Amino acid sequence: MSDILGHSERDAVTEILNIAIGQAAASLSQLVEDEVALSVPSVEFLSPVNAAARIDEATGRLDSVAVRQRFQSSFSGDILLIFPESKSLELVRSLLGSSVPLDSLTELEQEALLEIGNIILNACLGSLANQLGISIESSLPTYARGKGARILDVKHPDSELVMFLQVDFILTSKGVGGYLAFVMDIASAQQFSEAVEAYVARILAG
Amino acid sequence: MADKIVLVVDDSRVARMMTRAAIAKLHPTWPVIEAASGEEALTAVALDQPDYVLMDVNMPGIGGLETARQLRSRCPSAIISLLTANIQEPVRQQAEAMGVSFMSKPLKDEALARFLVSVP
Repeated sequence: MSDILGHSERDAVTEILNIAIGQAAASLSQLVEDEVALSVPSVEFLSPVNAAARIDEATGRLDSVAVRQRFQSSFSGDILLIFPESKSLELVRSLLGSSVPLDSLTELEQEALLEIGNIILNACLGSLANQLGISIESSLPTYARGKGARILDVKHPDSELVMFLQVDFILTSKGVGGYLAFVMDIASAQQFSEAVEAYVARILAG
Repeated sequence: MADKIVLVVDDSRVARMMTRAAIAKLHPTWPVIEAASGEEALTAVALDQPDYVLMDVNMPGIGGLETARQLRSRCPSAIISLLTANIQEPVRQQAEAMGVSFMSKPLKDEALARFLVSVP
């Protein structure tokens, strides 16, 4: 990332996103009544193909399920909540409680994941917007299932780099892990960084 | 306290299920009407005037803020709150300007209990 953003810009971006992701984790923790452990965010610039490969690595090359929201402000991109497919029913059970029969759980799986994604992704985007003092428009959440390339919905796999921010999280007692990813093109990543820098400058100026 | 009618407006069936369950935990006998869109909500209130409305914001169609605005004139006695994952300040400010409460998802039992005592 230091190739495209300087060290202090990277620090500022990571800190702002850390706070936003913390808000998202608090929402997830409340939803599923479990402690959520977060990893340190990793921010990298990757080709779309490598970003997709990164998702596949994290799930042992098995299918993932994801909730994706497109967001738009002075910068734009996608924010994704991704789980291994094998864990998604467990997550839905955490949300709806063990009294719901398995048949109903399966039927509700997609809608439940969309609602989980809606809450978590909006908590993250909302915290980001509130910190930066800007407004972020977001699309309704969409559901995707498959390998990394399908999850990322890569349109031009050979064309440009994306900023890929990944935070792993684990629901401690349930052993359900997943991660949250931001994907922005380079121009958006730079505008995002500028918004963050302006925010930091305002804070420092008192 | 007499039974009150609660209208829950959310495009997510799961969200409506969770909200309904939270209301039932506090007030098991209160009727809960569900609407999956703002348009459905505006139709529903022509049949039953709710005492309380819990309104999602990001929905296909006219959206929660515009629906709340229209409900204000159609059901002037209804107490309305947004119930949304969209926690951005401008959304809270628009709610406040309309005289509409704001609750963030995930719904907290205590916040719901406080909201549901405001009708005499």
